[in-house]
Amino acid sequence: MSHLIGDIFIQLTWGNALALVLLGLVGGILSGFTGSGAAFIMTPGMMNLRVPGVVAVGSNMAHRFGNNMMGAKRHAGLGNVDKKLSIFLLVTALAGVQLAVWINSKLFNLGGGGEGHGEGAGSGAVSNLYISVVFISVLTLVGAFMLRDAFRSPDAKEGAGPSMKLANFFSKLPLPPYVHFPVADVRVSLWLVLGLGLLVGYLDGTVAIGGFVGVPAMIYLFGVPTTVATGSELFMAMFGGAWGAISYAFQGFVDLRLSCLLLIGSLLGVYIGAYGTKVVKEVLVRMVSSSIILLAVLSRVVAVPVYLREMGKMNFSEAWVPWLKGGSTAILFAAGIGGAVLVLYHVVKATLERRRVHATLLVRTPAGEP
Amino acid sequence: MPIIFICSVPFSGGERVAKSLAQKLGYGYMSREDVVARANEAGIPVGKLEVAMVKRPSVQERMARLKDRYLAVATATICEKAQDGNLVYYGRAGHRLLPGVSHVLRLHVLPEHGQRVETVMTRLKLSREKAEKFLRDIDGDILAWVRFVHGIDMDDSRMYDFVANLENLNLENAATALCGVAELPDFRPTPASQRAMQDRYLQAQARIKLSLDDRTADVDLTVRANDGVLTITYVPLQARAASLISDAVGDLPGCREIRCTMASTNVLWIQEAFKPGSETFREVNELARRWGAAVELLQYKPGDAPSDAVAVAVGRSAAIEARTGGVEDDVPDAQPSSEERSFQETLEALVHEGRSGGGQRVSGSRDRLSAVISPSIPYSLVVLGDLFLDKPAATRTRLVRELSMFLGDRVKAPVLSTTDLAAKLHLGGREVARGAVAGVLVVLIYCGVFLWQDRLIDLLGGPAHKAAPWFAAVLVALMAPVIAFLYGSVLASMMKWLKMD
Repeated sequence: MSHLIGDIFIQLTWGNALALVLLGLVGGILSGFTGSGAAFIMTPGMMNLRVPGVVAVGSNMAHRFGNNMMGAKRHAGLGNVDKKLSIFLLVTALAGVQLAVWINSKLFNLGGGGEGHGEGAGSGAVSNLYISVVFISVLTLVGAFMLRDAFRSPDAKEGAGPSMKLANFFSKLPLPPYVHFPVADVRVSLWLVLGLGLLVGYLDGTVAIGGFVGVPAMIYLFGVPTTVATGSELFMAMFGGAWGAISYAFQGFVDLRLSCLLLIGSLLGVYIGAYGTKVVKEVLVRMVSSSIILLAVLSRVVAVPVYLREMGKMNFSEAWVPWLKGGSTAILFAAGIGGAVLVLYHVVKATLERRRVHATLLVRTPAGEP
Repeated sequence: MPIIFICSVPFSGGERVAKSLAQKLGYGYMSREDVVARANEAGIPVGKLEVAMVKRPSVQERMARLKDRYLAVATATICEKAQDGNLVYYGRAGHRLLPGVSHVLRLHVLPEHGQRVETVMTRLKLSREKAEKFLRDIDGDILAWVRFVHGIDMDDSRMYDFVANLENLNLENAATALCGVAELPDFRPTPASQRAMQDRYLQAQARIKLSLDDRTADVDLTVRANDGVLTITYVPLQARAASLISDAVGDLPGCREIRCTMASTNVLWIQEAFKPGSETFREVNELARRWGAAVELLQYKPGDAPSDAVAVAVGRSAAIEARTGGVEDDVPDAQPSSEERSFQETLEALVHEGRSGGGQRVSGSRDRLSAVISPSIPYSLVVLGDLFLDKPAATRTRLVRELSMFLGDRVKAPVLSTTDLAAKLHLGGREVARGAVAGVLVVLIYCGVFLWQDRLIDLLGGPAHKAAPWFAAVLVALMAPVIAFLYGSVLASMMKWLKMD
């Protein structure tokens, strides 16, 4: 019996429903902790649960639409949203999302196997491969850069902020006109903003990982403070996510059941993760995030030969297929669950430690003084 | 007698007015060049800082620490010179270095444009066109610098007590007229303003010492001085710095005590009169505990002067009100008033709670209030407590709302009244009911989704979808945010109940 209903929607069992809730929880914790969307684990996680790639992206976007709305509301209340920056980014991001939806739909319809032994829909091998390749290319760069930045100097001081080398470089480029963003308090070339918006929109629409590129790009390229980058990206992603979700739904690639299950865990996880950022060192946040991203990339690398085999581009024994799929799933879940447990461990540890600290210390009263 | 700050642009004649005024009054004279020289001696590359700020604004965050050091050196230099007597300072918005000090006379000298261009042409041997371009560039750079360093628009006349426009006024006559202004009782020192200046000096000295010590140079600290008590806050990530702060600061004259507070962030609490046992104190303290924040007190006595008064005596009314020609100012206040005692008791209570972020007092207009709120401290929240106490309740509500909007435009943090704060903090019956209704709706929606999943799938990707694909788009557009909102409301109530929000 096929695991699919119709052509593309999976049969829900108690087992995979629970796995989706847990996936949402892990993704939510990481999302709240890292400040970026956790599609880097949600999308491949769903694909490992045999959801076709394009449905995984569409359903994740629908789930993130609501999630981002709540996140943006929360950040706006804290004054972390630069609406002007978000709107400028959104202009081209919507075009990027539309481009990605169009490419994904075309590739899905191309098929690429049809043997029915693929991960997710056998007929979606080309789309799955394309999503995996984009995922691997972009997140390898992001993960490696973040990891390098976390370890960038052996004498890095505690609490040191992110590197500003790239921001300095881009601020020197003569690319008028420039736009001043009041909340972030930065002045950036309009072309850079529009370019980033397009890239974020395309990546959001393709693998739903726009935030993971958008937030670091705003921090490292524009010099936007971390909290404002997160808040502004969420505000933009709310509209971008809505547009993407609606577009995918129109194409018939959104499974609302999956979105609902993800949401149960992810919103709760976001609260826990966000609480974690208050008590865990920033350098650890960056190290954990980058390690998880790179492991998620490795998971996709392991899955790629399966898609190539489905497309007839690679030939190896079918006995390897379950091993590769199992290995991919194991790496991804080990990375995600390991990261989430690490976050939870540090949250509990730091909370207990803080309780022990008498925060105000009367360290010196000069002799003779009252 | 007052410290006179004259602010102007280069080649404006402002420097000549300042020197002439100092000579006529017999005051000491000091210019921005002296401050820059002192900063360079202290290892602060002011030139590089200026270029970086003006030409590459995106590196501001990186430079914030250097800017703080520069401001501390500038403040200390001016305070040292002004301690012995009267002083005329010529520079760019230097008066912003001494917030809360009322014996400061703030003057702005506006140049005569034609004369200024002629001066540049002669001195720099430039054509008229090039001289005008030169002045435009330099003025733009200075405006950007002042905006970065002090967070204000240098040309905003509300920042000054008097503006001397040299279009219609001779330099010498301007200096003579300003001599009379400087003699006014409104600008004479009072015990309170002298104490405020000592605090600013102490604060600057502590900041310099901390920045010169290798162990604390790169630690992000917030330094506040109030009545000889230094309150230094640090973030939990740099908790190891706590034990080093006292050593780094060392013995500073006038320092009675050093208090170190660990805080993830800062909450600014503005109120007219503080009471440690009040309901607002409890609420602010509870919020600070949840956020791991330090609470900074700002006692604000609203003044009568309208905030949009142009150029003259802005923000002085309340400070003036307390004095009658400077006669009683000579009599030191032996006993603190009950308000001062309450203020100190509230500070002490915060210290015991481990939440003290220091405190300061200010009176006068909204502009004066905004001037003492440091742009370099990353506040997460500004709480407006009980203010405008002499007004009827309805007027008080309106004035607090207006002040909230005014500060909201100037401070990069949400501004909440105590009523809003209470609503955010407490899980009231109404909120419980709302959470319960949201929970029931979420359960119903989820039941609907999973009990009729075949029908739903048909609409989302089956034959029904092929017939009407727009219906799936509408369904997703409506359901995704509704479910997130309802479920988010349930979780928010739960987190508030668990005190984890």
